Amino acid sequence: MDDFACPRCRTTKFQNPSLKMMVNVCGHGLCESCVDLLFLKGSGSCPDCKIPLRRNNFRVQLFEDASVEKEVDIRKRVLRDFNKKEEDFATLKEYNDYLEEIESIVYNLSNNIDIINTNKKIEQYKKDNREQIQKNKNRLGREEYEIEEILEMEKQVNEARKQAILMEESEAKKKRIQRKEALLDELMFSNTNAKNIVQTFAQQAKEEKEEELKKPPTKITKFSSGIQFGRKSQTTFLPVPTDDGPTYEYTPIVVIPNGPQPPLDEDVGTKGFMNHIRLETDQERAGGFKTNIACLRALQEAMMGLYHTKKNM
Amino acid sequence: MENRYEKIEFLGEGQFATVYKAKDIETDNIVAVKKIKLGTREEAQDGINRTALREIKLLQELDHENLIGLLDVFGHMSNVSLVFDFMDTDLEVIIKDNTIILTTANIKSYTLQTLRGLEYLHLNWILHRDLKPNNLLVDSKGVLKIGDFGLAKMYGSPNRINTHQVVTRWYRAPELLFGAKQYGTCIDIWAVGCILAELLLRLPLFPGESDLDQLTKIFGVFGNPTEENWPGIKTLSDYIEFKPFPIIPLKSIFTAAGDDLLEVIESMLTLNPVARKSCSECLKMPFFSNKPAPTVGSKLPLPQSIRKIAEIERPSLKRKLLESAEGGTLSKRLFV
Repeated sequence: MDDFACPRCRTTKFQNPSLKMMVNVCGHGLCESCVDLLFLKGSGSCPDCKIPLRRNNFRVQLFEDASVEKEVDIRKRVLRDFNKKEEDFATLKEYNDYLEEIESIVYNLSNNIDIINTNKKIEQYKKDNREQIQKNKNRLGREEYEIEEILEMEKQVNEARKQAILMEESEAKKKRIQRKEALLDELMFSNTNAKNIVQTFAQQAKEEKEEELKKPPTKITKFSSGIQFGRKSQTTFLPVPTDDGPTYEYTPIVVIPNGPQPPLDEDVGTKGFMNHIRLETDQERAGGFKTNIACLRALQEAMMGLYHTKKNM
Repeated sequence: MENRYEKIEFLGEGQFATVYKAKDIETDNIVAVKKIKLGTREEAQDGINRTALREIKLLQELDHENLIGLLDVFGHMSNVSLVFDFMDTDLEVIIKDNTIILTTANIKSYTLQTLRGLEYLHLNWILHRDLKPNNLLVDSKGVLKIGDFGLAKMYGSPNRINTHQVVTRWYRAPELLFGAKQYGTCIDIWAVGCILAELLLRLPLFPGESDLDQLTKIFGVFGNPTEENWPGIKTLSDYIEFKPFPIIPLKSIFTAAGDDLLEVIESMLTLNPVARKSCSECLKMPFFSNKPAPTVGSKLPLPQSIRKIAEIERPSLKRKLLESAEGGTLSKRLFV
């Protein structure tokens, strides 16, 4: 920031600590006094790029880089017309494409790329979508709607609180009047000493007051933003997805043999079925083939479906 | 295409067939019609394409929730078309979609469904021989079905010799890479192990560039096989000695996986095919019965494109509410 100088008078922040940089639509900066000077004659143009400027387009520069200011300006202008909302698109992809297009327009304009065509594009878009642009200007997007809703809710809560306070106050007032009347009645009709009566009533009033004080003030448990604080809120994390659905339990597939039950896999090896069968070679075993597999399949094929008749079909 | 099926759109094209999405006029169901290509003139002279025959022959007798259902077969001129259940997507798409987060419960559900389909297949003496994420089809309800039976074959004959040039290389078991001509269900299990690993890593576990590179990548993780842990390995026809590799513990590859899951991977990716667990044995492993429970089908994540379509067909309640609420405020403001 130190070496940042007004391009016209070369004043730096160091020389003049109260230097205020202003920026116009073209993105070139100018200090406040130079702006004043520039418009002495009524109109002026940018000393850098010579485009005619209007006085009320000068703004205080917020960003160090003036080109950012320019982009902000352009973006504002473009977005005034490109005001479609996510809800206007059928798919997220289309919406993203649309945003991408806006970005490229803004980029082109702020970097002076293909300005004529880009402006043409904007004009074309404006023409094509005139109705929708108008409509969208009057319509609140979903986000705005949500904000509106929250504001409404806050208003209601405020209203309710105010009501409660008013009620309490009027209640207290009523009580005071009642007590006063009771005291007067007592003084009028009782035969006891007036001094004593006053004393007991004073005592009563004092006790009641103390009781009221003892009532703990309602604790505030929320920030104004609606976020709860205190220890309690620390234990509530985001909802953990619950593992709904039953856990898996293995159930073997049931095969109806429709014939004599073929021997099971484990029986083939042990019950002598393989006594007269060629054992698998080393090579076959290394490939994952074992004779009991072939044996089992042969047995199954021999037995399954033996009871099958046309009637059973 | 026969009159019963009304073509909706073109879905894809493979080496042997083109697939269309179509509507069954009789039942109003959406189906996938796979029209087998004739191929070259010589191939056409041989008659029906072999892979199509395999698919028809095997699928007509199979019926399981996790296997693709062959609904109909019809011929037109000299073309054969197969009608299948319509499936929205496949595991490859899901794995590659980086907007999807797969939880352990999701992975458990996919693996369970694969294994259950495969168990049924193996019980019926059929090897799939081409398991890969691309062939595990998923519909919009989250049901996974094993598809593409073009390479499937009966197994368990002692004298029949099989080719070892099966299974897409990345999912090919080491015994196949060593040229085994006799093999069993273990080759499918290896592929499932690779798919399970890919679900976790979101990248292929062994993306070999050649058959030899494939073996190098496998041994680079599990270490070299020896005559002790894989008896008879030296008798395999294409066996070659590799330079020794250190063993990398699975825990350091799958850093996020629990012990019960690592156990499953380890037993599926055992080098020695005889020691590799079968489908039923895998399904009995604690990982599958442990918590978290497998995600129910309807809650499984879907790729964005499909999710969107489903949403358009029936707008969610939330959206409806918002729309009506918005209209409400608008009219209110008009009155004010």
